[in-house]
Amino acid sequence: MKPLLSCLLLFIAGQAHGAELAGQIIDSKGVPVTDAVVSLIPLDAPAPPVTATARVEVAQQNQEFMPYVTVVQAGTSVVFPNRDTVQHHVYSLSKAKKFELPLYNPGEKESVVFDIAGLVTVGCNIHDWMISHLVVVPTPWFAKSDPQGAVHVEAPAGRYRLELWHPRLATPVTKEVVLADGAAAKESFTLTLKPDRRVRRAAPGKTGGY
Amino acid sequence: MLSAALLAPAAVAQSTGVTNWVDYLHLTTSAEVARVENISRTSYEPTRKDATTFAVDVGGSIPRQLAPSVLFAGSGELSSLFVSDYELTNHVTATGRLTLQKKFGLGPQTWVLQATVSGGYKAARLDDDQGFTTEAGFQLSKRVLSNLRFAGSARWLEHDAKSAVFDLNQFTYGLDVQWDITEHWTLSGNASWLKGDLVANAAPFVWSQMLAGAFGPAIFNSYTSRPWSVTDLYGPGWVSYNVEGDVDLWSVTLTYAWTDQLSLDLRYNAAFVVNQVGVTYPTSAWALKLGYRF
Repeated sequence: MKPLLSCLLLFIAGQAHGAELAGQIIDSKGVPVTDAVVSLIPLDAPAPPVTATARVEVAQQNQEFMPYVTVVQAGTSVVFPNRDTVQHHVYSLSKAKKFELPLYNPGEKESVVFDIAGLVTVGCNIHDWMISHLVVVPTPWFAKSDPQGAVHVEAPAGRYRLELWHPRLATPVTKEVVLADGAAAKESFTLTLKPDRRVRRAAPGKTGGY
Repeated sequence: MLSAALLAPAAVAQSTGVTNWVDYLHLTTSAEVARVENISRTSYEPTRKDATTFAVDVGGSIPRQLAPSVLFAGSGELSSLFVSDYELTNHVTATGRLTLQKKFGLGPQTWVLQATVSGGYKAARLDDDQGFTTEAGFQLSKRVLSNLRFAGSARWLEHDAKSAVFDLNQFTYGLDVQWDITEHWTLSGNASWLKGDLVANAAPFVWSQMLAGAFGPAIFNSYTSRPWSVTDLYGPGWVSYNVEGDVDLWSVTLTYAWTDQLSLDLRYNAAFVVNQVGVTYPTSAWALKLGYRF
């Protein structure tokens, strides 16, 4: 029965991409905010489940994670290819997904399924400055703001709880929105962001005699 | 079929992880200019020599994770110091270093213990100072905030020079703090205490007076019981002598990082030496260093 219901919901979702949310996100100084995640969680019907083939990539490249922020639907398999010339030790201590990929050699790639909605902060235990955020949402309707602070989400018409998250936001912003067929709902957000507290890349040390 | 054929080489490379060892090599280089006060490490103030020094350094390291929390790094470094006013102090050193690092947990704010051993050769313009240097040390560090890191360290150094005058046997312990103020600016400080042998210098007439007993029997007995020789390091007839002393060292460095690769350091460092008979040799320096990571 469950697979049938899932197929039905997928069919409905596939047929009903008629509405759109267009958002503009700026900070308290009016500067466009990039990497803000907007997700629409349906209030009147369950969200369709993730497609079995959904795969997203978070690469290790130039001793950084690429991209810095990734948004996926719960149940998505995320692959972590090491495209560097150095080993990494990918890990997360987040409640939504604890995992560890030690001794991770260049050229290797492993997948991790993120099945619980929530925020997952991924780091490298060798290179402390390497950090990436995975925002796992319980809906297929989401988007990430571009460098101009613009965000577009297509979803079927209906009532949704909009959730807005950013790495430098103290608490997510939530509000109810209604999307109607054929018309783009417009939302704008002004965020008060915390200072960027990411660890800086380390400089090589040196010793010697006096 | 075509796409499978095109993807095959990439898939093989990914599954075997075959990489030339050169690809693992991390190279760094730096160039520094410094104005050093009392570079001669002289006790009698009117005879102290100041100089501008130039240093260049190239280094490479190959890190390797041995176990989930254990990192090993082999590194090599070639550094040189040029002092145009006192060319006999010029030298080049080649150093090889092995570092083993244990991290107690996951994340940037866990304790990190590092053990290092190194060996190197100092090719000094002055033959007497040429020789092998070995060093071993420990460092325990912890990042208390994402932008604030403390470290405590202890290390031993021995320099076995051609002449005993330049032999060194030193123990140093110290504290470091690093504050990443913004994305580009970093302020770091170090306070260290050193105990052991070091080399000081004296102008010919000062040394003659010492030998004549003008500074008392304590200084005479101490200085003549240890190796000394005329080296001309800071002028004709200048004497270099080996003393046992305690040194307070401290430094403050302001770094501006343009990128992850390129940075500029402005450093002030000072050292206050007191030898075993209470004679002092204060030195200090302002330095500007450009560093690049390839």
